[in-house]
Amino acid sequence: MILRLVQLTKRHGTHLAVDRLDLEAREGEFLVVLGPSGCGKTTTLRMIAGLEEPDDGEIWLGDRNVTRVPPRHRDMAMVFQSYALYPHLTVEENIAFPLRVRRVDHAEAARRVGQAAAKLGLEKLLERRPRALSGGERQRVALARAIVRQPNVFLMDEPLSNLDAQLRLETRAELKRLQHELGVTTVYVTHDQAEAMTLAHRVAVLAGGILQQLDSPINVYNQPANLFVAGFLGSPPMNLVEGRVDPGARGIVVDETLWPLPQGALDRLHGRTQVVMGVRPENVRLARESITGAVPARVYVVEPAGSECLVVVRLGRQTLTARVSADVNLDYDQAVWTQVNPERLLFFDPASRKAI
Amino acid sequence: MKATAAAALLLLLAVLAALLPVYWLATISLKQPVDQFAVPPVWIRFTPTLEHFREILFARPFLTYVWNSVVVAGGSTLLALLLGAPAAYGLARFRLPHELHERLSFWILSTRMFPPIISIVPLFLMMNRLDLLNTRASLVLIYTAFNLPLVVWMMRGFFEEVPVELEEAAMVDGLNRVQALVRVVLPLTAPGLAATAVFCLIVAWNEFLFALVLTQTDRVMTLPVGIAAQVTQFEIRWGAMSAAGVLAMIPILIFAFAVQRYLVRGLSMGAVKG
Repeated sequence: MILRLVQLTKRHGTHLAVDRLDLEAREGEFLVVLGPSGCGKTTTLRMIAGLEEPDDGEIWLGDRNVTRVPPRHRDMAMVFQSYALYPHLTVEENIAFPLRVRRVDHAEAARRVGQAAAKLGLEKLLERRPRALSGGERQRVALARAIVRQPNVFLMDEPLSNLDAQLRLETRAELKRLQHELGVTTVYVTHDQAEAMTLAHRVAVLAGGILQQLDSPINVYNQPANLFVAGFLGSPPMNLVEGRVDPGARGIVVDETLWPLPQGALDRLHGRTQVVMGVRPENVRLARESITGAVPARVYVVEPAGSECLVVVRLGRQTLTARVSADVNLDYDQAVWTQVNPERLLFFDPASRKAI
Repeated sequence: MKATAAAALLLLLAVLAALLPVYWLATISLKQPVDQFAVPPVWIRFTPTLEHFREILFARPFLTYVWNSVVVAGGSTLLALLLGAPAAYGLARFRLPHELHERLSFWILSTRMFPPIISIVPLFLMMNRLDLLNTRASLVLIYTAFNLPLVVWMMRGFFEEVPVELEEAAMVDGLNRVQALVRVVLPLTAPGLAATAVFCLIVAWNEFLFALVLTQTDRVMTLPVGIAAQVTQFEIRWGAMSAAGVLAMIPILIFAFAVQRYLVRGLSMGAVKG
């Protein structure tokens, strides 16, 4: 089912929680809404579910306008951050609840509960009550309750955030597989950019109630639409340094240091004076000797991370993070040469904060 | 270890202090009048008699008092819960403009802040006007009014403990708000409802002052008034009063034991990540 939000707006008092949001989740799509806390993503999800009424705009489910339809008639399934399992019911009764409510006949309900439980490995827990389950088990019951009927849309509100790190990774993979098998349009809300990158067909980045960018994870990562998206995605985040364009010197001057740029980049910056330059840590190279287009810097700190190594270097007042191979051998305050991959350089307008 | 022993001793003392009057009441109900006020007191070795129970049960309209008390206490408790619980739910779940939900809650509580006796004359006049003097209905109405604020305050707390997400989940799963209230919220607040009901019942069962003023005949008298009526112009029938007191405790005890299971709290634990 296609889910479409049109100019959706919600105010909390005088604060605009969601501001004229246009968004579409395609048939069977895994759409992740990503943003920091307070960006309006949970409010958006609650409006889709019908738990909050929008002040303006419309919500379309296929060719049906459901903006004012109560939650029970939208036929969506939601997984809450707290799981919201019914504590007075057993696991089996919890999973069967949406079917009982819809008066699905008993044999059919039992069959579907069995299927959902099998899919999530809950067969042995059916008689238990939620309080006798671990966090991961509760999470799976919540998912089973969502998939037990074939809803129009799945809504998920940070469903992995209460799990510990190891379990979160496992469940993340299982969730992706599950969504693929069921092929139900899914809107998934999270503040975790790693979840967004790994799960989504498309990512909608939200900040201050406004849609910043809607694109595939790889495009959002490589071509962020603005400085917010550039800084929010990626771990460690993108290096952003502000400098002055100097066409005569064929580069950008940052703190008296000249960063030489190739002709193509200079053409893109034609007519501008101040720009913010962005480069991902994996596109920064470090060398012990001077190479063409490199800028001198000093090692500030080295952070080995097993398969790779993060090196923070200082150039005057600026710091840059480089992601280099794990076998690099650098020491505090060592002099190095820093070079950025000119193909992967991004530029932003410091005034409008938009990508150039 | 030492602290546990001290605590146990303290608890024992507390239990003794609470049970001693009950023991005294129960023994007096079984004693011959000659033993009742013997000095030194006869604690155990007396010849028991069921004479007082026989007198109470057969010679006086005791069973009428019991029935009146059951009707009045049961009726007012039911009515107070029926009116108070929805009010409490509304105050727990909905935010009204200008903090009205808080103000209303306090206003409701404030009706219990004056001593009840000051309202007795106006209430007597009102009941007279309504032609409800010397009826059980007048007591049901008054006890309901007095229990309502406590029902609202107790139940509001219990409702607030139920996570909102549970209701929201139920609504997404296909229920409307009233159905969600009945199928999800009420089962979880059953212990609270039971505790509140016990509280209301005890208050109504024991109430004396209004019952004394508003009822005059055996036909509508409740137990406390009926028992007090054993103090007559000529004698105080201690044995009969004690026997009646013992019998009056029984229904409340039965009810409290019946709902004991629900009084054990904690059913809502584990709903949200615990």
